[in-house]
Amino acid sequence: MNVTDNIQPGRTADTASLRSASMLRKAKSRALSKSRWYSLIYRVFVYVLLIDLSFVFLYPFIYMVTTSLKKPVDLLNFTIKWIPTSLEWENYLYALAGLQYWDHLKNSLFLSVVSVVGQVLACSFVAYGFARIKFPGREFLFLVAMFTLLIPPQTVIIPLFMQYKTMGWMDTYLPLIIPGFFANGLRGALFIFIFRQLFRGLPWELEDAARVDGCGSFRVYWKIILPLTPPAIVVTTLLSLVWHWNDYFEPSIYLTSQELHTLPMVLPRLYQSLDETTGRSFEVFGLPIVMAATFLVIVPLMVIYLFLQKYFIQGVERSGLVE
Amino acid sequence: MKPFRLGLETKKMLAGYVYIAPWLIGFLLFMLYPLIYSLWLSFHEVQGIGDFQVQSVGWDNYKKAFVIDAYFVTLLISVIQDTLINTPLIIVFSLLIAILLNHKIKARPFFRASFFLPVLIGSGFVMQQLLYAGVGKDTMVNGIGVPQEVFLYMGPTFSQLVFDLLSRLTLIFWKTGVQILLFLAGLQGISTSLYESARCDGATEWEMFWKITLPLVSPVILLNLVYTLVDSFTDINNRMMMYMKDMAFTKIQLGYSASMGWIYFLFVFVLIVITFAFSKRFIFYAGER
Repeated sequence: MNVTDNIQPGRTADTASLRSASMLRKAKSRALSKSRWYSLIYRVFVYVLLIDLSFVFLYPFIYMVTTSLKKPVDLLNFTIKWIPTSLEWENYLYALAGLQYWDHLKNSLFLSVVSVVGQVLACSFVAYGFARIKFPGREFLFLVAMFTLLIPPQTVIIPLFMQYKTMGWMDTYLPLIIPGFFANGLRGALFIFIFRQLFRGLPWELEDAARVDGCGSFRVYWKIILPLTPPAIVVTTLLSLVWHWNDYFEPSIYLTSQELHTLPMVLPRLYQSLDETTGRSFEVFGLPIVMAATFLVIVPLMVIYLFLQKYFIQGVERSGLVE
Repeated sequence: MKPFRLGLETKKMLAGYVYIAPWLIGFLLFMLYPLIYSLWLSFHEVQGIGDFQVQSVGWDNYKKAFVIDAYFVTLLISVIQDTLINTPLIIVFSLLIAILLNHKIKARPFFRASFFLPVLIGSGFVMQQLLYAGVGKDTMVNGIGVPQEVFLYMGPTFSQLVFDLLSRLTLIFWKTGVQILLFLAGLQGISTSLYESARCDGATEWEMFWKITLPLVSPVILLNLVYTLVDSFTDINNRMMMYMKDMAFTKIQLGYSASMGWIYFLFVFVLIVITFAFSKRFIFYAGER
């Protein structure tokens, strides 16, 4: 956008340099206004495109929020699409009660945060080996890792179940946390891959300089490579967090006692748990409460996202490099 | 040369193994046994449900998949078709959006957050509820702003076609949050000084895209390509995965389901290895000697 602003006048000025000063000024101002028009049209186009598309992406969320505030009667009224007749904050009270929110939030937070820390540390460590050190069998082992990425937990759940049962890990968080610390776990291979790709783009000069100064490879990884790639860390943390948070297949297999359950695991039995606690039947017009509950489940994620977004910024300068 | 003194190169090589050791140990502990078990199971079939008796059937399960089972091959072909159509679409779309979101635009945090929201909502129970309520179908029609009247003029068959296309696109777009995020991370790794010096030399935005952005973001293109392929093939809601799940857990043909899984995953794996092999030519790693 700004390029046209900067370059066009310069070029025009070059060709016009032989002509008189007044001609020059005229040409300059004409070129400027023309490029301004282009940049304005471009800008409008970009914003229209972004607003339009972001609406498509926001739609499920908007739907969730508006529905969560509706009365059951509003659901049947076709004239009410977005704005409910009255805001039913009570839905959220029911959702909080039905989810037993604070207890399960604690479980979710504990499980996700520990798994994410383990996975991000382990995967970046392993990825440094895959990205920056040459050793025989590297490509083969990397392909093996990619193969594990292909296998969804659903297809190997029976032997995994049996294995964890013999290890005595059933009904604990261990099967969900420990593999992450070994750079496996939920899509662990993908995180290795993400780190590998972004590490490989880093210049060698800094690493070489550090090594000449007697830095061991671990210190190179910890003090140079990791601090240079905040986008990689933010992205893997965010994705790992979201996937661990929303995962309910594996936890529902390994965790049998309800007090260990995470928030997304309570969602499917929301009606049942509401009926038990209040003694009323919510089955029929419960959609607003379900939406309120789903909103409550993802709110912590949104808060963490907003916090992480601050660290997601352009301009990891290759400081200290003379290119 | 004295014994027990390792050369620098050997030392470095060993360091490589030390780095990948955690992953390798984890793989041996948590992945190998399930994989071997499922391979073993694919040559067997479960007889009784109660006591889990199995009987060896040799290659029968594999033959069954290709020769007897009428669904397997057709499903395989249709899933491949879907993936081949969706993948380029997802890559180009997400790269475009990521580049736009990397510009200095107003309300950038808002736009970035909104494109990532469907990923936060997830593909699990929450999304199912939303899809069940019909959210997927009318999003595009409302979002792009096609008035209902246009559909009346199109006639029933054509408008149905457009409608289906739009709702399909919506579902594809909702999945692109991850790819957009990864592209953004890749774009942020590009030093701004490169663009500045190119600008000084009089490069246009278009030239800078082809000469700077694309080569430097190419490692992430490979990453996204592989992720998209894997995600699309192993999506638990795709018909192939549903079929295998159904075979395993409702028809209790665990052996047959395992053998289909092996055929399927090996096929996808070969596809990914080919992708990696091809990528060697087109990908530029700034930090490679």
